[in-house]
This record gives sequence, C-alpha cells and structure tokens, in this order.
Amino acid sequence: MITAERKPMEELIECLRPYHRILLVGCNECVTVCSAGGRKEVGILSSALQMAFMKEGKTLEIREITLERQCDPEYIEELVTDISQAEAVMSMACGCGVQEIAKRFKEKPVFPAVNTSFMGASEQQGVWAERCQGCGDCVLGITGGICPVARCSKQLFNGPCGGSTTGKCEINPDIDCAWQLIWDRMKALGIEENYEKNMPPKDWRTSRGGGPRTIIREDLAK
Amino acid sequence: MQGQNTFKNNNTVLVIGGGIGGIRAAMDLAESKRDVVLIEKSISSGGLMTQLDRTFPTNNCDLCTLSPNLSESGRNLHIELLAMTQVAECEGEAGNFKIKLITEPRYIDLEKCTACGECYNLFPECVSFSPGLDHRAPTCMRYPQAIPHAYSIDINKCSNIDELVKVCKAGAILPEDTQKYREIEAGSIVLAPGAEVIDVDNLDSLGHAFYPDVITSLEYERILSASGPTQGKLIRPSDGKRPEKIAWIQCAGSRSIQEGAVSYCSNACCMFALKEAMVTKERFQDTIETSIFYMDMRTFGKDYESYLNRAKNDYNVRLIRSRPHTVLKDPETESLSLMYTQDSSNSNITENFDMVVLSAGFKVSDNARELAVKLGVDLNEHNFAKTDNFNPVATSKPGIYVCGTFESPKDIPETMVQASAAAFCASKDISIIPDSSEIIENLPPERDVSQEPVKIGVFICDCGLNIGGLINANELADYAGTLPDVKISKMIGHGCSSESMGNIRKIISEKKLNRVVIGGCSPRTHEIKFQDTLRKAGINKYLVEMANIRDQDTWVHFDQPGGATSKARDLIRMAVASVALSHPLKDKVFSINKDVLVIGGGVSGMNTALSMADTGFKVYLVERSGELGGIANRIRKTIEGKDVQSYMKGLIKKVTKHERIEVLTNSFIVDHSGKPGLFKTGLQTAPQMFYRQIEHGVTIFATGALAHQPEAYHLGRYKNVVTQLDMDAMLEDETDKIKSFTSIVMIQCVGSRCPENENCARICCLSAIKNALRILEINPKAQIFILYRDIRTYGLYEDYYKTAREKGVIFVRYEADEPPDVQVIEKELKVTFNDPILDRKISVSTDCLCLSTGLIADEESTEDLCRIFRIPKTSDNYFLEDHTKLRPIDLPVPGFFVAGTAHAPKTIKECIAQAQAAAGRANCMLSKDTLNLGAGVASIEKELCAACLICVRSCPFDVPFINADGYSEIDPAKCHGCGICAAVCPAKAIQLKQYEDDQVMAKLTGLLEGVN
Amino acid sequence: MEKFEPVIVAFCCNYCAYTAADMAGSKRLCYPPNIKIIRVPCSGKVDAIHIIKALEKGADGVLVAGCLEGDCHFKNGNIEASKKVTYIKNLLDEIGIGGERVEMVLMSAGMGERFAQTAIDITKKIRVLGPNPAKSFTPDKASNDL
Repeated sequence: MITAERKPMEELIECLRPYHRILLVGCNECVTVCSAGGRKEVGILSSALQMAFMKEGKTLEIREITLERQCDPEYIEELVTDISQAEAVMSMACGCGVQEIAKRFKEKPVFPAVNTSFMGASEQQGVWAERCQGCGDCVLGITGGICPVARCSKQLFNGPCGGSTTGKCEINPDIDCAWQLIWDRMKALGIEENYEKNMPPKDWRTSRGGGPRTIIREDLAK
Repeated sequence: MQGQNTFKNNNTVLVIGGGIGGIRAAMDLAESKRDVVLIEKSISSGGLMTQLDRTFPTNNCDLCTLSPNLSESGRNLHIELLAMTQVAECEGEAGNFKIKLITEPRYIDLEKCTACGECYNLFPECVSFSPGLDHRAPTCMRYPQAIPHAYSIDINKCSNIDELVKVCKAGAILPEDTQKYREIEAGSIVLAPGAEVIDVDNLDSLGHAFYPDVITSLEYERILSASGPTQGKLIRPSDGKRPEKIAWIQCAGSRSIQEGAVSYCSNACCMFALKEAMVTKERFQDTIETSIFYMDMRTFGKDYESYLNRAKNDYNVRLIRSRPHTVLKDPETESLSLMYTQDSSNSNITENFDMVVLSAGFKVSDNARELAVKLGVDLNEHNFAKTDNFNPVATSKPGIYVCGTFESPKDIPETMVQASAAAFCASKDISIIPDSSEIIENLPPERDVSQEPVKIGVFICDCGLNIGGLINANELADYAGTLPDVKISKMIGHGCSSESMGNIRKIISEKKLNRVVIGGCSPRTHEIKFQDTLRKAGINKYLVEMANIRDQDTWVHFDQPGGATSKARDLIRMAVASVALSHPLKDKVFSINKDVLVIGGGVSGMNTALSMADTGFKVYLVERSGELGGIANRIRKTIEGKDVQSYMKGLIKKVTKHERIEVLTNSFIVDHSGKPGLFKTGLQTAPQMFYRQIEHGVTIFATGALAHQPEAYHLGRYKNVVTQLDMDAMLEDETDKIKSFTSIVMIQCVGSRCPENENCARICCLSAIKNALRILEINPKAQIFILYRDIRTYGLYEDYYKTAREKGVIFVRYEADEPPDVQVIEKELKVTFNDPILDRKISVSTDCLCLSTGLIADEESTEDLCRIFRIPKTSDNYFLEDHTKLRPIDLPVPGFFVAGTAHAPKTIKECIAQAQAAAGRANCMLSKDTLNLGAGVASIEKELCAACLICVRSCPFDVPFINADGYSEIDPAKCHGCGICAAVCPAKAIQLKQYEDDQVMAKLTGLLEGVN
Repeated sequence: MEKFEPVIVAFCCNYCAYTAADMAGSKRLCYPPNIKIIRVPCSGKVDAIHIIKALEKGADGVLVAGCLEGDCHFKNGNIEASKKVTYIKNLLDEIGIGGERVEMVLMSAGMGERFAQTAIDITKKIRVLGPNPAKSFTPDKASNDL
C-alpha cells in the first residue's frame, strides 16, 4: 500500500488562507488503511482547519467528501457538483489523487493535505514500514524475499557494507540491516550459494532512471 | 448419590448467605427459572469480597467486576433478597423444607426509600448505608449498586427519633419496626454463609491488639482502597506517616497449634499477601520495601506461580522463608521489630519495620456453626461442612448443598465453581417455574414508526423533592415544549411510580408519540423500566433517552439552583436532539438448540454429561481414545482413602447406559461453525474416519490434561524410578514389593515450576503425602524422604501433611537452583541432596525413587481445539476462562464452558465440582428457549469498509473478520458492544447501535447550539 | 466580556466514570454545573472526531473519563481512549487551540469524590485558559439564556 502522513497544520492553514470555501476530499483506499486520509481523518482535519480559522475570526466553509479511489478518473467525476461551490480543493489522497483532481479540474487550485511517503506494509497496528521502491526490475526471488533496494539504506546489491553491526544499519541502529535479513533468510531456505553469486550493477533505466514510466496492457487498453 | 431423585414438591430454593458465592448460586438458580429466597444477615449483600481493594492475579478493582453481578441479582425477578435475615428453625426434608426466618428491624420501608441520603446527612450517627458509608467504619460504601439500595437505621444510637422521621420526605422511616418472623417452604437449600477472618487479637505475640501499626490483611486492603477510610492513602495508623518498610507475616492464626489459631491452611493468604505487596510496589516502586515472611509459598492455583515469579522478579517483593514468632516495638525508633532466622545464618536476625501486616486466614463463624446445627448438617473436625469426595457440594443432609468458604477455606474462583455446582444440584431437586411467557404475549404489537414524522414526548420527573426541590420542574417542562419536534412536554410526579408509568403509557398511545425523553434519574438504574413502558405503549423500546437531571444535576448542584436549572435545560436539549435520531432497534433474539456437546470422556466430562442428561438434555460425549475414564482410570485411591476405581466403574456404567447420552469414542473434532445456541461441529470416528456433523447449543470442554512424563532422573529408563501415579498402582497391586523397600525417596516439582513449565501442578504434594502414608501403612518401617520446594497442602489437606510428619516421613527442602542429584551406581539408586538445616550434602541409597510429576496441559489437543473453535488458551496451553476470578467456568465466547483439568490441574473432587458447575452454567443458558443479545452491537456498512483490518486488530474480543466478500464482518452474537471498533475505523464504516455517531453529534449540537 | 462560564463536555464510560458521577450524586458532592456528561458504553468508543467536533462546535473543554487501568470492562478501551486523547491534544497544540483543553481521567465506579474533584479541577483550569479561541465572539448563549 502507499503510505502517507498528514502535513503540519501550519502548512495547510497557510495554503488555504486566501479561501473561504473549500472542498476536502478523502480517499477510501491506501490512505484510509494507513489512517492518513480516510473519512475519519477528513472529519478531524475539517474540524481542525475550521477551528484554526475561527480562532483568527475568519470562517472557512468546508465540504467533506471521501471518494472510493482518487486515482481513477471515474471516481473523480463524482466531485463535479461539489467542486463548483468551492474555491479550492484539498486532497487527503496520495500524490496520484491530487494530480488526478488537478488534471480534471484545471481551473481549481488543489492542495495536498498529506505527504506521500512510501510503498510499505503494516508491521503492526499503527506501524508501517517501507518495503518497495518500484524499481521496475524485481530481485526478490534472488535475495530470499527481502529487497536490497528498498530496505538497504545504501541500496547495495552485494552483501552488507562495513557499517553493519549486530544485524543493525549504521545509518540508524533501529533499522535492521537488509543484508543480515537476506543472509538469515537464505540460510533458512538453504540457498546460501546465492549469496556468493556476484550481482551485476543494477540497470536503473527500469526505475526512475528512464524518466516517468507508463504501463500499457495491450489486451486491456482501448 | 444425592441429587438423583427429583422431588418436585416445591420450586423454591433457599440460599443462605449473600456473599459472592450466594449471589452466584442465586443468579444461576434464577437464570434456570427457579425461585430463590436469598437471605443475608447483614444489611446488604456482597460479603467479604466487597471490602477488597483489588484481586489477584489480574490486580483488577473488585468493585468494577463485582457490581454488575450485584445489580444483576438485585434486579432479578426470581430472586427475593432478604437482608438482615437469618434462619430461626428448619424442619422437613429434601423437597419439602419448612424454614422459619427471622428478620431484624431495619426501621426503613424498602418500598419507599429512594436512597436519597437525607437522613444520613442530618443524622449520620444513627444511619448506616451498606456496607457502611462512614469513613470511620472499617468499611465504607464502595459501590453505588448496594443491594438493597437503601439505608438502615440503628435505632439505639438515635437520640431524636421524631426529627429523624420528619427528615424523610418519602416517609420511609419506620420507628416502630420490629423483628419479623416468616415461614417459607423450600425444595432445597444452598449454604453459603462464608467464613470469618481469624481473630488475631487472640494471638498476643503478634501484637495486633496493642500496636496500632500491626494490622490484618483485610485492614490493609481497606487502607489501600481508594474509597477506604484513608481514601487510598497509604499511611500508618499510629502517626499518619507513609510507611517505607512493610512486613507481611503469613499463616497468622493458620497452620499453627497455638491457642486461638487453627491447624489447617487458609488457602488464599499467600496470594493475597503477594497481591498486596505488588500493588504497594506498583504505587511506590523503589521508595517502599515489601517483605513477606512465609513458611511455604502456596501459589498452587491457575497461573499463580507466574504471579509469584512476577512479584519476585519484576516487583522485587522480598520473600523470607521464616516464621517470626513475636512482634515487638523497638523502644528507640518506635518501629516494629521482628526476630527471625534464615537458612544461611546460625543466629537470630532482628529487623525493624514501619508496619506489619498479618495474613489472617479464615475460620467458620459461631453463627455458621449454629446454622449447621439448626439445619442438621454434619461438620468436620474443623467445623467446616462435611462433604464427600465424589459428591463435592452435597452436605450430609439430602437437599442441602454447600459452597464457598463454609465448605473449606478457599479462594474466589473455587467459590464460584462450587456456587454454580451447588445451585445446579439444588435445582435438580425441584421443578422449573412455569414459563412466564404469557406476560410477553399481552404486549401490544409494535407500531411501525419509520414513516412517521418525529413526535417527541418529554416527561420531567420531580422525584419528590429530589429534583423539584431545587429546580422548577414545570418550567423545565415548558422549556422542553419549545424544542424542535417536541409535541408534548409534561411534568410528572415520581416518574418511576407505577401510576406515572401508566400515565406516560397512556399519553404515548393517545398522542401517537414516537420518541420519548425522560428527565429524571440515571439511565443506569432506570432505563430498563422506561424502555419497558415504551414497549407496553406499543413502540420500540429503544426510542427513549434519559436526561440525568437528578444524580448528575440537582444532587450535585444544590448550592446553585440557577446553574442547576440551566444545566437541566442543556441535558434535556441534548436528549431531545439525540432521541430524534434514534430508530427502532431489534434485540437479537433466536431460538436455541438444546443439545449438548461434551468433549472429553474423563471424570469431568462424564460427570458433566451425566448431569446434563439427568436434567433432560441430549448429550453427545466425544472421546478421542477408545474408552471412557481418562487419567482417573489409573488412580486407585484419593488422599482421603476413597476407592476411585469402584466409583469410576459405576460412573462409566451410568454414562454408557444413559438413554440421553450418546458416547462417541475414537472420535476427533475436525470442524466447527455457527453461533452460541446454534453450533455445528463436525467429527470423524476412527478407524474408518467416518464424518458426522452434530448440531448443539452449548459446548463443554473437559479434555483433561496429561500425566506428565518429563525426561528427568532416569524416569522411564530404570524400573525403580516411578511417578506418583505408578506408585499409586503399586500400592494396590504389588504390596510385597512395597514391603521389601527400606528406603523411598520422593522428589517434588519434577517437570513443573521450572522454565519449561512455569506453573505448579497443584496435586503433586497431595499425591506424594497420600502415597507416603499408604506406604507406611503397608510397611511401617520404611524410611521415606520427600524432597520438596514448598509443601502445598492447601486448605484442610494440611492435616495430611501434619500426619505424615508425625508418622516419621522426612521432609527436606531443596532450592530450584540446587536440585537433588540421582546417580545409578551398579543398579543402585543414590540420591544426593543438600540439607538446608545441617547445611551439608546428604546421600541416600533408595529402593525406589518416586517422582512427583503431576499433570501437564495437552498442548496438541488444546491447540487444535482452540484453533477449530476460535477460543483462547493460556500460554501454558490450558483453556482460558472469561474471568479468572468471577467466571472460571465460562469461556470468553458465550456457549462455551470448561470443566476439570482442561482448565488447570485439580483433584478429582475439584473436577467433579467443576463438572457439575459447567453443567449448571450450560443449564442456565439452555433453560431459555431463545437467546436475547440486546441491540447494542456494532454493525458495518460494507460499502464504506476499506478492509483495512484496524477493527480486526483492535477488537478486544477478536470478533470482526474480513469475510469472503472482502469487507469486515461482525457477528452480532459475539459482539460485546464496547464500540472500540467504531471509534477506530478510519473509513467510519462501523456504527455501534444505540450510540451511533449522528446521535453523539446531535447531543453535541444540542448542547452547544447558539454558542457559535 | 461577561463572567466566563465554560462549557465542558465529558464523555463518561457507563461502567466506571458514569457510575462514579452518579455516585457523586448519591453522596451529594458539589461540583460546578459546567460539566455535561455524554454516556458511552466504553471510553474506547469515544472517537477522536467527537472530541474535536465538540470543540469546533464551541465547547471550551472536553473530558474523557474511563475505568482505572486494568479495570476496563472491555479489557483495554480506556487505553485506546487515552491514546486518542493524546493524538487530539497534539493536534490542538498544532493549531493553537491548546491541547490542555482536553483531558483523560481514569476512575473506578466507586470514586464519586474523584469525579467531583475532576469536575472542579477541570472547570477551574478551563476558566483560567479562557474561552475556546475558536468560538466566535458572541456570548455563551447555551448556558445563559435563562
């Protein structure tokens, strides 16, 4: 899932200062699951923003709506009536959602309410950790199911660096050394020989190196 | 055996004693539709437990766990509670007792007293409010749910009775009240008079009578208690200073031959001392030192050993194995000084403490003894009621059953087990009350209000002067009339009187109201009554909202009538706003299947099955092995010398011959579905592994535990190394061999109380002593050593420990870190151990090494069953009950019960009691034809659900799950109605009925409208 | 401005805090009438939204009251609630409303005194803090429209 965190209130208040009527849009997908921009967070942020402005003697009218998914144009279409009433839009979705709104409603200013963080998994209730960077060339099959791109601070492909001590990363001792995890897992699988294999330098063109990417499924695309 | 014949003459049961055991028994009886007269000699129910601050092992506040039980018993229609009442005479026999009751004068009319407290405020010296509101008294009113919820007058202390009578606006004070006699008839009797705390004043060496800072554990509980005499401040009675060093002295008055003391063990004291020390440490951490002086640490109950380890390791409670004989006052420092010895030293140690707590145990009161005489019930040598090994709650007199500390000293869970068992046995003797369903049939049909515009009726109660005395109820009603959607608003005097209720009902029907607001007292006490009124008026009972303008307004703002009036308006506005959004809710009701599934065919399973079948239920008894009996098949004698095998033969015969029991041996549970009352369980039967599905309403787990066979001390490799279970058989079958032994060594705690198996197996000390005594009977010259860590002959079993010592059994203690060493030298067994008194190693050659290995949970089977039935287990693989103290038989999921050693290790007698109790609890559930789960459950709007799992992870009871359609689902039959899921759902897809978000918001808007 | 009478919303759990409030009643313990109770089955049922909406709608303070630690009728609802209260306190600090307007307290059903004392303390505290700055400058009608 894509994870995100609400931006500091000060930043949000600042960008809405010129407006009196805004539309606050949540998303019922990833940001709901990571408790950053679902129906509940929309409600809380709406209250917080209104109070912040009321404190300054100003009223901010907020209309709340939460879409099933903000990264699909059909769902964005549901905003048509509400958006006409609003001077600006604040989206609680990830960056994809914000851009879809901007694309559809060219004349309306749209502001992100969250900082989109990473693709991650929930380690436990309320704790999410980065797992994938979408590099476009997955090596998990070789590395025992642990990603050196997303989980090694230095994105190393051939074993840990010299900074790995007692299984922890030198960048931050709270982070597990990805290569320690890879080694443990390889041992458990009995594929230690994979560790000895030298991995060639990674071709980053499949990642961001080749510019923004598009996926086309010919059988589905119209 | 008692309880086999049903007398059916009279359908009332007399329960004597309103403590926790009596309440449980009365509630079980009422739930299984028997009429109960519950008598209590003090002014209200609750007993000893209401005085405790917190209970081990969960360190919960008792009040919070107990009060729902109390109010449940007070409200129950089948229970008549007579406080201040005792038995004067008893005649007759089982099925037909005639009992004369005597009730002391309360000088209060219970019908009229509203517990307003006016009399107490003005005449505190002559009014008591149960259990004593006065801070000066040893107890105080701890729970507002005191039943009966009324005051009582001590007329002798009252100097101006006329004035007192005038004070009561309700006219409830009766100065002419007298002792009353009443005769009742009862089919059976449950004895639960409890015990009293041993009077330590008689033990003058402990100084309780003359040093104020020597107190009993119960007094210490009161000091710790937030609503106790010091309001929870820990202070020394002598000078009001906070103590920094506290000592507990165990066995104060128990396990002693001193005059004024008793020789048995009081069972619960080790645990309550540990609890008190831990709670003290929790509050003051390292700024306080807690030391416990003990002889044997008897933490034998379920998970109690881990509690002891927590006290030792996590809380640094100091444990000193020594029994100080005297408490003296240090003349210089004014503190209390104890002299004691330790293994490691050869001289006396003197140590000073700021406070000494005496762990005083239980004894039978004179009152209870007299009661036994009146009823013709035999007592044992310690004055506890005599019971039989195989019929653990039946007294010597048919038709009279016993539970709790009057049977033997015990802790709360065992009391609860016996209470349910005694209630069940008592209920079997009498017939069921004819169903009261005709009342339900008289109800008018429920009007469909869904299409009607909201029409609210507001009724303001003046509660005599309780509300009307401070604020103008008429004006408040007028104000309410101006609120949106309010069609009628009226003041009604004493809203809860049947006259006013009738009026409200009439107005609802005449004016076609579809929402009602009651401005009056607390919904906690009166909501059910008003819901009932709505239902009788033909509308759904959930369309009412109460505004608490008495308890939370006029009673607390009597100093400012203006503020109280304004707040009353706020509260009415909130209620009106919220009730407008309420909608009819349906209680979840469904009819239940009355068949019973008992899993496990050991002594517990068979007893449960037999009890249920005798009551008239069809029972499926599933046993995985080829025959019934379980471990009990291998036990020959109980410690009391009773023949287990002939009992088992009889039991197996009865079970297999019973027309309503279907025994399924060689059968394994493979799947399970459904909800409480409507379960479906699949099983396969060997050898062909035929599959069969059983439909049933309740499930009772009696899967037992395993005889432990740890790899220790050459067990299984050398024929003269045996377990106590082997020894038990040897004593019956190989007496010649026993006669040939000159030396026998027994080692305790083999494979228990160790890192691999933390808890105590409870029964091993008893089996070792049982076998030692039997060996000496056959071979009086045999030299027997019992190497132990703590001897845990709890309760009255202490007698056997004493006898064993008298007969020359040598008990030598060893420490966990220095266990005995066993060498096999040329087929000779040589045991070497450290003698702590001589402080040197001793080696003994032995003919037989007997290991006390006890029981261990059947990990594989418990794990499988817990997975299939989705129920929790403890970390050491026993089934986890709903509440360790108060609900030891019910599992957290309704419809599941546990009996016997599947719950925790226990003796055969305890297993049978729990089997009867489980049958009793199941019987309670099955006495109803339908199950009503209320309406306050969480429901999910699937369109909004993001399947994020937060509800699944947050639910304290593991109810929500993501279903095959990909959204969260909550089984209303399992939902406890806390609403935690609704509050955490990030998609706002969950609503808790009765407390829906829009209603909460409406209350906020109602309150705050006009503020913005 | 006239004398400031704060409006304080108290979410009280049915098993402990609401019972304690009733208990304060049966003991006739006086406390200021500024506190208005909303009954919830468990403090864990109190949604962060409810807390912040109360303030947005003009309350000057919010109290969430649950059972003592370890005593929650539903195991850990009180712990859940206190986490939410902390979350909202931080958010209120961020927008300059002041997190100290929201408070979580724990009590057992028998603690009538503690309920009354809490009510006294929080009313005093909110009085010192002054009116909710998000409230517009019209006087407090809800409590004074007698």
